[in-house]
Amino acid sequence: MNRRNFIKNTGVHLTIPFLINGLDIFAQPESPFISGMDPFDDKILILIQMNGGNDGLNMVIPIDQYAGLMRVRSNIALPESKVLKLRDNLGLHTKMTGLATLFKEEKLGVLQSVGYPNQNRSHFRSTDIWNSASTSNDYINTGWIGRFLDSRYPGFPEKYPSIEYPDPFALTIGSTVSQTCEGASGNFGIAVNDPKNLKALAENDAENFESISYGEELKYLQNSILQTNAYSKLIQKASEKGKNLATYPTNNSLATQLKSIALLISGGLKSKVYIARIGGFDTHANQTIAADNTTGTHAELLSSLSNAIEAFQKDIELLGVANRVIGMTYSEFGRQIQSNNSGGTDHGNAAPLFLFGTCVQNRITGENVQIPNPIPAQAGVSMQIDFRNIYGSILVDWFGVKESEIKQLIFNDFVKLPIIKNCQTATPVKEVLLPMFVELSPNPTWGPININLQSVGGDCHLHLMNGQGQTIKQQKWNGMFAGEQNLQMDLGDLANGIYFVHIRQGLYHKTMQVVLQR
Amino acid sequence: MKRRSFFKKMVNAEEDKTGASLNPYSGKWGKGEAMHLLRRTTIGPNIESMNTVISKGLRRSLDLLLEDQSEVAPPINYIFENDPFVPMGSSWVDAPYNDTQDSINYRASSLRAWNAEILLNETLSIREKITLFWHNHFPIDLGTVSDPKYMYDYIRLLRNNGLKNFKSLVYLITTNPAMLRYLNGNQNSKGAPNENFARELLELFTIGKGPIAGPGDYTNYTEGDIKEMAKCLTGWTDLGYYSKTVTTIKSSFNVGRHDTSTKQLSNRFDSVKVSNENENEYKTVINIIFTKPEVAKYICRKLYRYFVYYKISEDVEKNIIEPLASLFIAEKFEIKPVLRTLLNSEHFFDVSNRGNMIKNPIDFSLGLLKQTAFILPSDNNKRTLSLQSIIRSIGGQQMEYFYPPDVSGWKAYYQEPSFYRIWINATTLNARMNYTNTLAGNGITYNTIKYQIDVLKFIGTMKKVKDPNLLIKELGEFFFPFGLTDNQIVDLKTLILPGAPDYEWEEQYEAYLKNPTNVMIKTGLETKVRNLIKAMLTMPENYLS
Repeated sequence: MNRRNFIKNTGVHLTIPFLINGLDIFAQPESPFISGMDPFDDKILILIQMNGGNDGLNMVIPIDQYAGLMRVRSNIALPESKVLKLRDNLGLHTKMTGLATLFKEEKLGVLQSVGYPNQNRSHFRSTDIWNSASTSNDYINTGWIGRFLDSRYPGFPEKYPSIEYPDPFALTIGSTVSQTCEGASGNFGIAVNDPKNLKALAENDAENFESISYGEELKYLQNSILQTNAYSKLIQKASEKGKNLATYPTNNSLATQLKSIALLISGGLKSKVYIARIGGFDTHANQTIAADNTTGTHAELLSSLSNAIEAFQKDIELLGVANRVIGMTYSEFGRQIQSNNSGGTDHGNAAPLFLFGTCVQNRITGENVQIPNPIPAQAGVSMQIDFRNIYGSILVDWFGVKESEIKQLIFNDFVKLPIIKNCQTATPVKEVLLPMFVELSPNPTWGPININLQSVGGDCHLHLMNGQGQTIKQQKWNGMFAGEQNLQMDLGDLANGIYFVHIRQGLYHKTMQVVLQR
Repeated sequence: MKRRSFFKKMVNAEEDKTGASLNPYSGKWGKGEAMHLLRRTTIGPNIESMNTVISKGLRRSLDLLLEDQSEVAPPINYIFENDPFVPMGSSWVDAPYNDTQDSINYRASSLRAWNAEILLNETLSIREKITLFWHNHFPIDLGTVSDPKYMYDYIRLLRNNGLKNFKSLVYLITTNPAMLRYLNGNQNSKGAPNENFARELLELFTIGKGPIAGPGDYTNYTEGDIKEMAKCLTGWTDLGYYSKTVTTIKSSFNVGRHDTSTKQLSNRFDSVKVSNENENEYKTVINIIFTKPEVAKYICRKLYRYFVYYKISEDVEKNIIEPLASLFIAEKFEIKPVLRTLLNSEHFFDVSNRGNMIKNPIDFSLGLLKQTAFILPSDNNKRTLSLQSIIRSIGGQQMEYFYPPDVSGWKAYYQEPSFYRIWINATTLNARMNYTNTLAGNGITYNTIKYQIDVLKFIGTMKKVKDPNLLIKELGEFFFPFGLTDNQIVDLKTLILPGAPDYEWEEQYEAYLKNPTNVMIKTGLETKVRNLIKAMLTMPENYLS
């Protein structure tokens, strides 16, 4: 029975808070329909949104680039000796001991230089791009999770909650729902600040104004209230039944959010996606304390992030649900490579992101960022990994979406990355995203470029980008043969400067700098 | 006639006239139209305003709404006895700080309460609605620029200039001390440019970002323009942040920090070169931006979304936004003619544009107090404390004055496709319900002061108070854009007359009027009325404006 029929059948037109709570019908979390229906049904994804644009170069640090880092951002750079090494040439910010531990325990994936072609440096536009998984130039009103859920649960929101799916599909701990969960006809998520303190709201039903926008908005409000009431009951139940077994850091809002999420998961809530947020990454000025670059705003943010994730991971392990949960961090953009004189960094391009959990591939994907010399004005970190390949890979390997479907849901050029492992069957680790053997000559060039590469066979994509991450030229070779290949490109129509060539073929890729000088 | 068929008729009639025009409205003028105008232009219209606007008619009411208001006296020290620079009862806005955190804290509390009180005291004027519009458009938050003197100076600028000239307002905000700090303009200097303000000046404050047309090219401007304009704006700093010596805060231009080179703009600005003009250069930059017609369109769209509806169809773009933008340009960016034309239009009063706006939390919460003629204590300290507890209870609804979430303002005014619907979720629905239930119910008790809506006094202002059906109908018309349906009136009546015949209400009310001090009679009546008002305020109809 859907809600509209329920109201019709019970004849409730207007109800008052203390008179109503007729939605017990939905409160049957132990429904026999749920268990074992779909092997992916109990998988959970945690998204951690880092608002403001994170300075990735100060989070995942290319140790082999220290000379470059000191050249372009000495006023904010962490001393080399303080970097927490993940391997010889790459490490984490000194405050991220929690994530360094997770890496040692094989529960952390580090993906370097994640972004998209034609970087947009506006906070809200770029946030839209990340949340919707659109290209830089397209405006899409739905979110990537929303489209996935639409494909699985048609008829949302009218037909839900239902007996088979009584739980909210997605949940944000906080005050606003996430744009990632925007579906074609409504947001799949609900937002709650305190899962232990939810009350029933007044419900009513009026169909008198369907033909005018007043009616549309009224109906929206009525649906929100009904859904909230139904979902609130389940959330409340889960929060009463659930528990936390790890100790979380205090004065850490992200940790508090993740703690609530662990509580609800352990209490049996079957939401598929949970969203937590941490703000303050828009560090245009004074991102470190000048006297000690290991401290300051950005260091505190990274510390909060790392400590919160570490506590959460420990908790879900103790609660025995770790094999059902993975998490991902993201931010709308990275920051410029060169710091500004205000001790901060301005809006840039790509940045690293983390995947965490016992089911993620514990590895570093992508090559270290190269610091260009000389540094082009306003240069950001060039993209190596398109974020949409990460989204798609999560949907395929975690939620069981067919690869062919990803082309519809996310994007046409999808290539699955081996970032998640099959926990249940413990299959051996698959191939990583491998560096590609490519040579560019002449470099510097006055125009023509010869690209010599060792093709592994298959479609080959090439993007030429400027320092601001804009794609200036692109080319695709369909079904390229394996073996040595020579490609040509002409930069003769471009202005002098530093450009980046990004080549990708299946799981292989390479980003290289090229200097145009006449 | 049944309500439903009545509306079908109304809607069909309107469809014939299209309703999408800026022609002056000349249709029916009654309670519905007056309340529509008032709900959109003021915060929480009360019965007195409603009656004035009904009797004066649309044109004269717009004169009143758009009239310039005299400036409100600045906030004062209401509590802190140890501020050597500010005696109790005097203003702190031009006084230095002493060493203690307390001397800062009381000023922040004072500022917020003072501001809330201005909203509550506003009568027939659009000033507070438009001030909030600019606060959303040029957002600065008290968390980032935490010196209350700066935030006072900033909100004063918006309040005093919000109905004047948009271009002048952009001049003023560009060198405003709080804005210089908020978007790092004070760190923007020759050799160390900081592009933060220049970027937002273009993207959010004036011309808006167009589609990406090429690398770093946003149709209306380019990345290069941001960089060059940032250079034009170098040299400005603010003076007096948390200062123990400075009385009046201000901004100043330091010629040594100014980039005197010639700046080259892109073809989006006709490849204009800006040569050095020192402290006047920022005006030249703004003048160049304002030569582009997209500025007027961008602002008119924002005004439309704030005063009319969030959906802008192709028809609305063509028949409302474009002519409004042309008028804005012809009037040299004077704000009043644009507002007047919009609010006076057939389109604004079209039935399809009534009641379709989900109230923002400030409107919803402070509006309720105004609607029900809530009276604040006269004692400075008690009044400030009561305002503080009201402000606190609004925060949970996700919109706090002086705390816009970021430089883009509140999401409800720009986030596609949901817009105002963003105000509504499980958290805020609970917060709204708690707020109305508390104020219409047992009230808030804070520091032994109790705040509560005087419901008996309030319903006494209704015309048909003795007939329960007519009373509820009248309350519905007062609170809701389209009143109540017959079924809703029947259901609500059970709260004041559970199963009893209608005349019993009149008897009880008469008994109370004869003997208003009899506690038994009064309490019995009051409890029922509280249940009725609480129920009405939590209905989704009450969330719409």
